[in-house]
Amino acid sequence: MLAYIVRRAAYSVVVVLGVLFFLFALFFLVTKPDDIARKAIGDKAMPAVIAQWKKNHGYDRPLWPGPGHMKDNMLVEHYRRMLTFDFGRSDADDSVIMDRIERGAGPSLSLTLPEFVLGLTFGIGIALFVAFFRETYIDRSAVVLSVLAMSISSLLYIIGGQYLIGKELRWFPISGFDPSWAVRARFLALPIVVGLFAGIGGSVRFYRTVFIEDIYKDYVRTARAKGAGEIRIMTRHVLPNAMIPILTNVVTEIPFLLMGSLLLEASFGVPGLGSLTVDAINANDFATLRTMVYIGSLFFVVGQILTDISYTIVDPRVRLD
Amino acid sequence: MTEKARVFSWLSAALALFVLLACTNNPYPETDDGKHVLYASFGEAPKSLDPAVAYDTAAHEITGQVHDTLLEYHYLKRPYTLIPGLATAVPKGEPQADGTVVYSFELRAGAQFQDDPCFALDGDGTRTREISADDVAFEVMRIADPLVNSPVIDPFSNLSGFAEFSARLTRLLKADPGFKKLPARERYQRALPLDGVRVVDATHLELRLKNPYPQILYWFAMPFTTPVPWEAVEYYDGNHGHPHLADHPVASGPFMLSIYDKQSRMLLERNPNWYGAKHPEWRAPGATYPSEGEAEDARAGRLAAAGKALPFLDRVDFRREKEAIPAFTKFLEGYYDTSGIIRESFDKMVKDERLSPEMQALGMRLDKSVTAATYYIGFNMDDPVVGSKGGERSKKLRQAMSLAIDVKEYMRLFMNRRGVPAESVLPPGIFGYDADYRNPYRHVDIAKAKSLLSQAGFDGGIDPKTQKPLHLTFDTPDTSPDGRLRYQFFVNAWRQLGIDVEISATNYNKFQEKVHDGAYQIFMWGWVADYPDAENFMFLLTSDMARTKNDGPNTANFSNPEFDRLFLQMKARGNDAERLELIRKMRAIIEDQCPWIELFHPEDYLLLQEWMKNVKSAGLSVPTLKYQDLDPALRARDRAAWNKPVVWPAYALGALLVLVLAPGVLTFMRERQ
Repeated sequence: MLAYIVRRAAYSVVVVLGVLFFLFALFFLVTKPDDIARKAIGDKAMPAVIAQWKKNHGYDRPLWPGPGHMKDNMLVEHYRRMLTFDFGRSDADDSVIMDRIERGAGPSLSLTLPEFVLGLTFGIGIALFVAFFRETYIDRSAVVLSVLAMSISSLLYIIGGQYLIGKELRWFPISGFDPSWAVRARFLALPIVVGLFAGIGGSVRFYRTVFIEDIYKDYVRTARAKGAGEIRIMTRHVLPNAMIPILTNVVTEIPFLLMGSLLLEASFGVPGLGSLTVDAINANDFATLRTMVYIGSLFFVVGQILTDISYTIVDPRVRLD
Repeated sequence: MTEKARVFSWLSAALALFVLLACTNNPYPETDDGKHVLYASFGEAPKSLDPAVAYDTAAHEITGQVHDTLLEYHYLKRPYTLIPGLATAVPKGEPQADGTVVYSFELRAGAQFQDDPCFALDGDGTRTREISADDVAFEVMRIADPLVNSPVIDPFSNLSGFAEFSARLTRLLKADPGFKKLPARERYQRALPLDGVRVVDATHLELRLKNPYPQILYWFAMPFTTPVPWEAVEYYDGNHGHPHLADHPVASGPFMLSIYDKQSRMLLERNPNWYGAKHPEWRAPGATYPSEGEAEDARAGRLAAAGKALPFLDRVDFRREKEAIPAFTKFLEGYYDTSGIIRESFDKMVKDERLSPEMQALGMRLDKSVTAATYYIGFNMDDPVVGSKGGERSKKLRQAMSLAIDVKEYMRLFMNRRGVPAESVLPPGIFGYDADYRNPYRHVDIAKAKSLLSQAGFDGGIDPKTQKPLHLTFDTPDTSPDGRLRYQFFVNAWRQLGIDVEISATNYNKFQEKVHDGAYQIFMWGWVADYPDAENFMFLLTSDMARTKNDGPNTANFSNPEFDRLFLQMKARGNDAERLELIRKMRAIIEDQCPWIELFHPEDYLLLQEWMKNVKSAGLSVPTLKYQDLDPALRARDRAAWNKPVVWPAYALGALLVLVLAPGVLTFMRERQ
């Protein structure tokens, strides 16, 4: 298994280096260092001030390596910083990027973790319930509702949730955040509910399919023949055997919990890492954006490796070599 | 109880507690109810709070409140009037025999900075110190420092020796790599002299200007020239776990920044060290509510607090709102105290340019103020077709195009009529603005426009060279669909004259490149005043400020020797009859030459809750929070009445679920048995 992990890690390095290259190339294809400077110091700034800003932030160097500047160019500096985890300061406001990531991780986790746990619990719970009542009107209605729920854009859930639950029913604040836990709970309730509704359709449909596939397998018939009750069959036999596809879905997501949710955080004003990324895009803040993309790509490859390892844990028949 | 059941019970209890805690839409802790806390929102955090750098409205919203300036603006009087702030009086320029002009500031003795750990550099426990003239001189030197990268170097170059001081700093930085690492104070000492800034003693500062430039006083009413302690610059360097000065102002104003979380919250609290708080007996103009203003102020109850000590608020709590609709909804729920009006709700809020009866019934008020800004369509005067090279012919073309633009219709369609049609470069509230002036080319007269076009040789809009409609290009950095509609409005207007104008929308950088290279014909732009003086608008059309030649803000590249001559005279004078005459002559040149089609001066509509007191919009980016007040009891009453949760749908939903699921579950269980 160790050899497999080393091999996967080596592939991952290539993937991450590629991501960093494409990010750099695409960003500077549409944005020039002057744009970054103007966003940072304002449109009224005189050209001399912009030139000085670019010098202070290292954007006065050539973009690509070339004769005379093989080492002293922006691409090499980009790789040097990322690979040494020297994220530096934000282009938008000169704040230390690592500090901002540390500050944003808490709010992100306080939104994504409960949403993830509740989403998983409700998704699996409802899917088991629906699979239990398979081929009844409950099952058929649940499938129709799930497909319907999946077809609706997340934005509609957000706007609808804010309008109905926030504005009309006045149950929770429509948006915002507060560091104190008593007030934070009020702010998080609505995005969590909206996130649950937005994701529940897909989860229920997926987990139901997984469970129903297992229900017709031989081991279930054997269990039933041995006199096991339906509830026991679902929870003790079907659920553990359906763990591989569930894990594929779940373990990949775990590292991303820390990265926050772009849409929910931006729409509900939660100052997490998703929000930070959206702000960086809006502000042409290349230094912050590349850091977030880099961390995201690292989490992605780590998630992939973890998923593979978790297979061996839940199913001893799986061997990684 | 088994272990699993116990865990399940705890989780359920935690979830129930979470739901219980969450079930209210009040975004603030209940402990803050009844306090003098003003709640406001912000969209984007300021880019920098370093007073030498911060140049945008969002930053001035904070720096203006926490930094005291030597001078400030009278809160109620219009036109804008300077009053003493940290200085004891507004100084007068003293012309010298050598042509220089000297301004002498006297600072209030005994005024202190806010408490801050940076003052304990030598470990003696000191938390503050008195403000000295050295601190103001230090800040002016910071503006010259290339490492600070201040955007306002240009106006301070009027100070004797300022440009030379800045150049010496640049040279020293280039010559010695170690120079950059020296403390700022030491770097400046090595780059001296700076003749234009002389510290006479701890409370006296003398400025020497190379030429008359009375507008320098306005720069001393802005945070750029606030006293900054050298200790703060050294301590808040972004190292050793200390934040950067750009994120941690150390100041001397009525409020201090106690929480600065760019992602979610900024909190201002009263500064107990402020001179107004420590010495109310001084009755300083900047620390006392004014007793005179405009006639409207008395009617609106804005003089009720006359003579009272400032500030009235204990705290100002800025919460981040990325989206306009949720922010406005919270205002309607009573959780924000003031708000602009979002486009989606404008018709519900405002009827016939007045607050709608529904909003009036909630006790709300509408405060309108014209911003000291001018938006215009400009012609590139270097262009052979629309510019000055085309002589009389091009001039008539520009005049004809101006006569086709119906700015009232534009404001009706795109701005909910929020604006004043512009007749000249100067907006209301600025000395030289004449409400009765009518620009002969700034009303719609298609017949006259067609006649001018014929005289210009473009009969029916046809270009004699091509025998096709005259083709012009309108360059814009706005690529949004909304922007496209706006620009199309002007294109349609010119089509009435037979002229074919093409919209060329590119990204901002490409647009800047075009402007830099002079490869453009028509553009739309706006200018928001830095300070309320005609010079700050008229300079936009001087030859020295031409964009193509000198990279200045004169994007029209307008160049007229007579205009330049009048400008220099006007710039050097205080507001008097002769200056007014000079402004009129300059206005006549612009009217005739028509380098701009003046469009409008935007108008801000501010909604105020019933409980707000003493609010008057400034129309300029100046601090006003120390004058504002509110009635917390009235606010608590209204909030309670407006925010009762509607709970019946929760019960209905639960009942519906049971009704739908129960028959199926029961039938299924029966069958399985």
